[in-house]
Amino acid sequence: MATCAVKGGCPSDYVALSISLLSIIMLLAKATAPYLIHKIPRPKGSSFWLAAIQVFASLNLLLSIVMALGFLRFRRRYWWRSCYIWAVWIEGPLGFGLLLSSRIVQAFQLYNIFVKRRLPPIRSFVLLPLVLLPWIVCATFIHMNKPLNSRCHMGTRWIIPVICLHALYVAALVGFTGAVRHIEFRFQELKELWRGNLVSICSVGIWVVSYILNEIHEDISLVQIISRFLVLLMTSVLVVAFFSISISQPLISLKSLGKKDQQEYSMMGRALGIPDSGLLAQRELVQLVDSNEPLEKLLLNRRFRHSFMQFADSCLAGESVHFYEEVQQLDKIPVSDHVRRVYMARHIIDTYITPGATMEVNVSHRCRQEILSTLDLAHPNLFKNALNELMQLMKMLKEEARIKTVDNELEQSGWNFSHRLSSVHCADDPFHQEHSPRKSSSSSRDFELQ
Amino acid sequence: MGLLCSRQRHNPADSEENEQTAEIDRRIEQETKAEKHIQKLLLLGAGDSGKSTIFKQIKLLFQSGFDEAELKGYIPVIHANVYQTIKILHDGSKELSLSLADPSKFMISDENKQIGEKLAEIGGRLDYPRLTKELAHEIETLWRDNAIQETYSRGNELQVPDCAHYFMENLQRLSDADYVPTKEDVLYARVRTTGVVEIQFSPVGENKKSGEVYRLFDVGGQKNERRKWIHLFEGVTAVIFCAAISEYDQTLFEDDNKNRMMETKELFEWVLKQPCFEKTSFMLFLNKFDLFEKKVLKVPLNVCAWFKDYQPVSTGKQEIEHAYEFVKKKFEELYFQSTSPDHVDRVFKIYRTTALDQKLVKKTFKLVDETLRRRNLFEAGLL
Repeated sequence: MATCAVKGGCPSDYVALSISLLSIIMLLAKATAPYLIHKIPRPKGSSFWLAAIQVFASLNLLLSIVMALGFLRFRRRYWWRSCYIWAVWIEGPLGFGLLLSSRIVQAFQLYNIFVKRRLPPIRSFVLLPLVLLPWIVCATFIHMNKPLNSRCHMGTRWIIPVICLHALYVAALVGFTGAVRHIEFRFQELKELWRGNLVSICSVGIWVVSYILNEIHEDISLVQIISRFLVLLMTSVLVVAFFSISISQPLISLKSLGKKDQQEYSMMGRALGIPDSGLLAQRELVQLVDSNEPLEKLLLNRRFRHSFMQFADSCLAGESVHFYEEVQQLDKIPVSDHVRRVYMARHIIDTYITPGATMEVNVSHRCRQEILSTLDLAHPNLFKNALNELMQLMKMLKEEARIKTVDNELEQSGWNFSHRLSSVHCADDPFHQEHSPRKSSSSSRDFELQ
Repeated sequence: MGLLCSRQRHNPADSEENEQTAEIDRRIEQETKAEKHIQKLLLLGAGDSGKSTIFKQIKLLFQSGFDEAELKGYIPVIHANVYQTIKILHDGSKELSLSLADPSKFMISDENKQIGEKLAEIGGRLDYPRLTKELAHEIETLWRDNAIQETYSRGNELQVPDCAHYFMENLQRLSDADYVPTKEDVLYARVRTTGVVEIQFSPVGENKKSGEVYRLFDVGGQKNERRKWIHLFEGVTAVIFCAAISEYDQTLFEDDNKNRMMETKELFEWVLKQPCFEKTSFMLFLNKFDLFEKKVLKVPLNVCAWFKDYQPVSTGKQEIEHAYEFVKKKFEELYFQSTSPDHVDRVFKIYRTTALDQKLVKKTFKLVDETLRRRNLFEAGLL
């Protein structure tokens, strides 16, 4: 008669199962809470997909552990209970491997941006399958050689290399975290990163030991029960802890966690703590009509700048002035503070430079490429050429504004522009002059109203 | 009006108030009538197609033109064009000397190297110095250098502005201490338009009563500017689409990998298919004909993928005409491909223009005006 140690269905199994179910629910809740509850728009691009892949991989991992180690007591042998599907494929390439690979890819991108200070050279979608390749190879190898017995155990000879592969990936992840450890992240990512890593490593350690014990000591039923319980427990802890580490979107986690020091993060400048992000030092409003001053000097005056920005916005040319303002804010960050500079530079690039951005500015191809392929996001002169090009456009805008004020009689309170409109009725009448002396045949046509 | 009249009869004591109300009503009616008659014209087209030049020409023709202050306001623009041009040519010659089979052709002569470096540095500054006689002389020296001339002949690979030759030949005049730009200088001056500019004008015909009022909108043509176009698409009488036909061998300012003619083709298609323009008249200006004339004899049309089935038949003036007709036919085909059968009755006319030529623009606009007036009468059922 088979005991519950062999067939599954022991009380400890059910406890472990319920814990893992709880962790699945918590995981899903954490993943979707910022978007559903706090109504933050879904971010586009690789950061969202990597997070989604991690959730998927975590679920796979839990499921594979449950099925492979035989927690549930099934009466019949179904085809989908095949050991190879669960213990090999879903646990490896689609579970543990995918989870760790996506984390490694995230850490790698972070390393690129903050340590090497350039935009990531390889897209995540190319990198992820590459990092996952060893797992797929390993799984195929095991599948071909079929060493699993009826209880889904591999035996000592096979378990060692498999565990080594698991450990290798954990080591790689720790390595990348270590490489970025000396950067003081702005939004406390590193602390969370270390905390999460600590929990993960502990749980992985216990997990590994339990797994090995489970595989090797098939005969001792107590070992089987306890090790099975521990494996599932640690996996549940692991997936939840892992997901809690937020690496790439600090602002989202900030908003959703509702930090005690609630600050207005509507402007990136304020979020980074740049002083007077929306204001400039108090200066008297000098006569604005004194437009003999070069535009660069005039723009340093806050009131002029805001007034000019309003004018530019009214003729749909405002992005240049907004760009100028944000680059000024970037210049206020000290050169030694790389991390903040990088955050601000990334924000400016996403808003103004990337083709198709919401407030894309009118700069040449060469200028755009120089910025997008820069090797140093914190470089002080990153946006200098773009600013030069746009200054010419803004000077033209200023000319038009000046002409408008001459036409419209400057009002005391400031400028009142809604259009760059100059409606003048024709004083010179070229058509009339042409018609009267010659009486050309074209004018004798029918369509003149009588 | 009738109600007011009856009120006046019954309440003689409030006659002043009634008069005021009548005045206001009259004004409102006048304005509404005026608004209805304002015809909205849009100048659309890819970057550097000549829209703003046409805009300036309309200003010169139908408004009081440019006063001295406005003309002087163009001096920094013209000087900036000069510095930018010489910097582009200098940097271009350096690039070409690195990458080509015949690099010595593009190496600036030793005595001009220093001047070149100095001018390139000036061209990279935020604020350009005023063009002095000394600087003008240096620029002219560099311009005459063989390497720079060779680079200029390959200007289609770089982003050399079209006004380069004109300004370089007039450097002496531009650097005068009391230089005031001529109308021609202002027309040649190049600045990318950003946002939207509008003017309102009224080309009064022989019979003053029929004076139409036009409101003309000029926009930027680069890709990032096009997202702003959508704000203007309602209630448009006519779209003047400018296509620079001399640009078939050049690439975009904002994207070095895209051919300008292909971009114009796609843009024209996109504009034609806009639902707001179902009843809008389309005036296609095939612009920069002066440059097209010179180029088509040296650079075959087939370098552009759209014109790859072009076969030259002769030489000289005949060839130019033949090439022009070919391009015109291509645009016509494109128009009919992109117009659904129920919209074929909208007006479509093609004009050959050179935006810098005032007489030609005047003549062209007169034809446009005639077409639009005729269209109006047709719509009103009088024709």
